[in-house]
Amino acid sequence: MQRLRAWFLAPGYLVTVGLFAVPMLIVCAYSLLSRGPYGGVTTPWTLENYLRVFDPLYLTILWRSVWISAVSTAFCLLLGFPLALFVARAGKRRTLFLNLVMLPFWTSFLIRTYAWMFLLRDTGLINTVLQALHLTGAPLPLLFNNGAVILGLVYGYLPFMVLPLYATLEKLDPALLDAAQDLGASPWVTLWTVIVPLSKTGMMAGCLLVFIPCLGAYLTPDLLGGGKTVMIGNLVQNQFTTARDWPFGSAVSLLLLILVLGLLRLVARKEENLL
Amino acid sequence: MKRFLPLYAVAAYAFLYLPLLVLSMFSFNSSRFSVWEGFTLKWYGEVFGNENLLEATINSLTIGLVCTAIATAVGTLAGYAIWKRKSSFITNSLYLSLLTPEIVTGVSLLAFFQFVFRFLSVPLGMHTVILAHVSFCLAYVVIVILARLRTFDKALEEASMDLGANEWQTFWYVTVPAMLPGIAAAALLCFTVSFDDYVITSLVAGVDSETLPMVIYSMARKGVSPAVNALSAMITVALGVFVLLAGRMERK
Amino acid sequence: MNRRIFLMGVAGALAGCTSGHKRRLNVLNWQNYVADNTIPDFEREFQCKVRYSTYGSAEEMLARVMAGNSGWDVVFPSNSFVGPMRDLDLLQRVDHKRLTNLGNLEQHFQSPEWDPSLDWCVPYMFSATGVIYSKKIAHPITAWADLWQNDYGRRVTMLDDPAEMFAACLKRLGESVNSSDDRLLRKARDLAIQQKPLLRAYLNEEVRDQVVAGDVLVAQMWAQVAQGALEASHDLAFCFPSEGFPQYADNTSVLRESKHQDLAWEFVNYLLRPTVTRDTVIAWRTATANRAAREILPTELGKNPVLYPPEDVLKRGEWFRAIPGDAQKRRDIYWTEIKSA
Repeated sequence: MQRLRAWFLAPGYLVTVGLFAVPMLIVCAYSLLSRGPYGGVTTPWTLENYLRVFDPLYLTILWRSVWISAVSTAFCLLLGFPLALFVARAGKRRTLFLNLVMLPFWTSFLIRTYAWMFLLRDTGLINTVLQALHLTGAPLPLLFNNGAVILGLVYGYLPFMVLPLYATLEKLDPALLDAAQDLGASPWVTLWTVIVPLSKTGMMAGCLLVFIPCLGAYLTPDLLGGGKTVMIGNLVQNQFTTARDWPFGSAVSLLLLILVLGLLRLVARKEENLL
Repeated sequence: MKRFLPLYAVAAYAFLYLPLLVLSMFSFNSSRFSVWEGFTLKWYGEVFGNENLLEATINSLTIGLVCTAIATAVGTLAGYAIWKRKSSFITNSLYLSLLTPEIVTGVSLLAFFQFVFRFLSVPLGMHTVILAHVSFCLAYVVIVILARLRTFDKALEEASMDLGANEWQTFWYVTVPAMLPGIAAAALLCFTVSFDDYVITSLVAGVDSETLPMVIYSMARKGVSPAVNALSAMITVALGVFVLLAGRMERK
Repeated sequence: MNRRIFLMGVAGALAGCTSGHKRRLNVLNWQNYVADNTIPDFEREFQCKVRYSTYGSAEEMLARVMAGNSGWDVVFPSNSFVGPMRDLDLLQRVDHKRLTNLGNLEQHFQSPEWDPSLDWCVPYMFSATGVIYSKKIAHPITAWADLWQNDYGRRVTMLDDPAEMFAACLKRLGESVNSSDDRLLRKARDLAIQQKPLLRAYLNEEVRDQVVAGDVLVAQMWAQVAQGALEASHDLAFCFPSEGFPQYADNTSVLRESKHQDLAWEFVNYLLRPTVTRDTVIAWRTATANRAAREILPTELGKNPVLYPPEDVLKRGEWFRAIPGDAQKRRDIYWTEIKSA
């Protein structure tokens, strides 16, 4: 069996080493080099790119990314928990309801972001309706602000929250709930004292699954933020295109990765959840 | 609470679906603005008359199919091997690649391709996009395959070997049929992830490899246009039908 | 099927592919820089297949071709990018003998300041940056300073482009758009940050439709983009700010890496034909560097004051220039500060 296994593993090794590990090592090397006069990378080797990250400017961007991601994650949790609870208790139909949550997730992320551009702009549907109902005189500036970015992120990643929550809620022993009820607890008390504490792992997994992609987001701030909201993703992208500062972009990329890994260490115990 | 949950669920599903529905609806509107002026198919005509879009669609489909074929094959074999005995290097790498923000993955692949292909003097293009997609799809495939294998009884393989089949025969005639639904699910996941990717693709694409998301993005950056609505509606419906069909096949 | 027959079939198919393969040309251009018939006509006349793709900023183009293995043949660098691209060894030297139509260029574009003997590029279109505004606002815009006065209900946008942002701020300070002086750049940055609360967003071409629709009332904009908006709505006006404004020209260049040099130069020469350029100008309302083409344009375009400002306005214009590496790096940092403020 051993030989077959080795052969089976070889292409996997080739892909992970060739297309993941080596590119990452190149990024590490770039992050220690300097920017050429018109872009590109040149010697000398330097640590300057890493020191530059600690400039208050970039720390502000980092902080903004963290809080926008955190708020988005919180909204996802708030909106996703009751939905997951509903799906988990839907009896026979729960596969159907779960698929209904996942279906928008299968359509393009870009299109879902674009849908909100369509709804939120000045001459968009929401403003048109508000004005037709005379609820507002002039169109409200709904697009191009942090709120629009958060909305886009919540909409984009809500399914990531529902799925793990559903997985834990579904396994919840109904006997426990019956017991709580028999002991005289109202449904809300049961929810707060029994269901919520028991679904902690699902919440943790869901929050991570939402928080991580939010942290690296760059399409949503770009399209819904109107170029006024800079998150780490935009910073990195800008370094590799407009600013042509590859070394600095590499350093920020690596720090972003380290941040994600550190967070994971803090929250999750081992890789048991995913693999 | 019994009353609250279903009510809430209706609202939540509305939140998930209404933007897409409204978007699709207005692709039939003859006005460019969000005031209904009358039914038209002209925006669909515009989409079908756009040669760039057609070419981008073909590119996206080609990339999606080739990447799915490679990643599913490699991932199935690797998943099976990992199931047999742990390989911490691959497991950790895949795990890490899944957690790496897309922009970082894209940037590292771009740096790699520019570095390597400059020596080979090969331009960026379709092949680089496919390689990049294989790289980030592999983790998804392995996860799905491993999940499927967890429900597979190892005793079946041992029985097959006891009955005189060799390793390869056992794998091919016993294990693969059992894995098939998992393989199908993995391929499906792989295709949708590849078809949807913008961030990584836009970085590593070259001549001749403009994909559908790239075209949509450049159209969306220019502002809202009903033609983009029409295109989005078609992609949403096509992908939705594809996912539902695939889901049904998997259950059988 | 017999194995040998199959193999022969494959070989035949491959041979067929190569012999029947049309010549290819890969063109990377700005959005809106050719007419609908430009590329098909060229393909028909020269029996080739053109792959045509677009970019939204000169930086993006440079980032894509910088590695020297991008696969593109013809690009359209802005005047301030010609020097850097030459220094990076990306451009092919212009072979004047092949460009029989070069004489069609306007006299002053035969020896522009960014490439006096046209060794590396051929000027194509040019324009300047100003402000487009709705006539409905109380006072017409006349100066950059006006963009700091009022937020017009937060319906003001600036270009999402560091060079343009610094140009507007530096001109407001009465300085050169190409300044590398750190003290001035910092002042310019402070001005931009001060202006940010008044802005709706930083948007490029995409703002045109929003200006026409009335979503945006005042926008920093390129004259040639503005011309399209002015024709779509009578409520709009355009101004070249009184403090001065930047000018730019986009040029045709062939990349050194190009594997289709002959066809690429044919394409450059083809674009210099008066009729070809005329069609592009009519389709997109651009300002051409081609005198022969301008002469056969309808008057409303050939003598358009937005596309071809009169002499007394042009005196206030200043060409963008390449910024030295370390100043560029500081500009990038300040730009990030502005955007993240």
